[in-house]
Amino acid sequence: MALQDVCKWQVPDTQGLSPHLPEAGGWAVPRGCDPQTFLQIYGPRLAHGTTTLAFRFRHGVIAAADTRSSCGSYVACPASRKVIPVHRHLLGTTSGTSADCVTWYRVLQRELRLRELREGQLPSVAGTAKLLSTMMSRYRGLDLCVATALCGWDHSGPALFYVYSDGTCLQGDIFSVGSGSPYAYGVLDRSYHYDMTIQEAYTLARCAVAHATHRDAYSGGSVDLFHVQESGWEYVSRSDAYMLYMELQKAPGLEQEREPEPEPEPEREPEREQEQEAEVSQVRPGPATPQDAAGGGELFVEPEEVTAEDDGITVKTEMI
Amino acid sequence: MVEVVMEEVVVVEVMVGVEVLEVMVVVELVEVVEVVVFRLNLYELKEGRQIKPYTLMSMVANLLYEKRFGLYYTEPAIAGLDLKTFKPFTCSLDLIDCPMVTDDFVVSVTCSEQMYGMCESLWEPNTDPEHLFETISQAMLNAVDQDAVSGMGVIVHIIEKDKITTRTLMARMD
Repeated sequence: MALQDVCKWQVPDTQGLSPHLPEAGGWAVPRGCDPQTFLQIYGPRLAHGTTTLAFRFRHGVIAAADTRSSCGSYVACPASRKVIPVHRHLLGTTSGTSADCVTWYRVLQRELRLRELREGQLPSVAGTAKLLSTMMSRYRGLDLCVATALCGWDHSGPALFYVYSDGTCLQGDIFSVGSGSPYAYGVLDRSYHYDMTIQEAYTLARCAVAHATHRDAYSGGSVDLFHVQESGWEYVSRSDAYMLYMELQKAPGLEQEREPEPEPEPEREPEREQEQEAEVSQVRPGPATPQDAAGGGELFVEPEEVTAEDDGITVKTEMI
Repeated sequence: MVEVVMEEVVVVEVMVGVEVLEVMVVVELVEVVEVVVFRLNLYELKEGRQIKPYTLMSMVANLLYEKRFGLYYTEPAIAGLDLKTFKPFTCSLDLIDCPMVTDDFVVSVTCSEQMYGMCESLWEPNTDPEHLFETISQAMLNAVDQDAVSGMGVIVHIIEKDKITTRTLMARMD
């Protein structure tokens, strides 16, 4: 354009490397070719593919995710952890490349601790989202893939932000991220409303992720459920996706039979209209670190036990 | 985003004693199955007898090689019993028809590494049909659990001298 030529102004290349990228900012970069090409040629196939969701409602923010880490079609880990606590009032659901998510969250945790010490108050969710997005946008063009939903409760109430590694930072009420997100959105959009009760919210989150694990090949394993309240985040449950799916198949209104489960899972009844406050006792208080939560380690063994011949196998014999 | 559309394994029971298992792309799968059945029926009419498993393997191999440069994306596995001796026969073919006959087990495409591991550890020679059913069920169920694009159920056919028993197993629906 004429004005552009006169002013000698170049359109900034938003897809390429950011000009503010440090030359050797602590990250090892292979010599000879740029990192993107290097990874494409020689790099390992990185883990992608997931279903995570988060939505905010009157009583806080719910974050739920599946637990399958896949590398191509291989299931690298059927019981991984995709919801990462960032601070005592902040959680992030992660999807994209597992390594990128875990590392950038560690960096974010460090920065938030420093920020809390400097400012003397808990960091706000909006500020955290902005911090994460600006940190990652400096590496735009280098194939970082981190798509997260930051959930928290700060001075403005429950807050939810979607942050992507190219620098996108969006505020919203419902976000679902990952390869299984279209299926989760379908279930979420149907039943979400801001004034849900806590049990309705738990049920909705588990139901949405369970449907996505069934339809999406790269989601599965179990469903992790977290709840951020005014007092902080809380690890609600880890339920096996197979169990949830079987419960979803049962017709509404029928008496739910308790499946023989190896570990004490809270029984989930998706169609119950009356939520009694006694059911809040199903919610286990969040441990200091989710690694200590009951059921996390046993679930790895569970698929084999469930598919043993005694109860699981439907036998239909045809003789020819 | 990979969506689960339908089962991707079709078992064609071509006659008592021999079954061809086809895997991979659904569209070509149907075509390959129909052509195999067609050629098999012609063979039986011409020869007036049932086909031997080894001959069926050669027939399927020839069919796949006809499309050597414009492929059928199908890697069949054939399992059956020889007609006279009732000796078990297993073989698999890659998508351009290289046949491989084995004494113990054959595995298919998608989660073949997982299945090789399970079969290698669980398979024993000279077992009775019930034991073999247990073995193959555990091998399949655990192998597909470790693969993102396999699962949703397993159908097992046990081929014996006088009957084929078909069982459907419930698996993880994710």
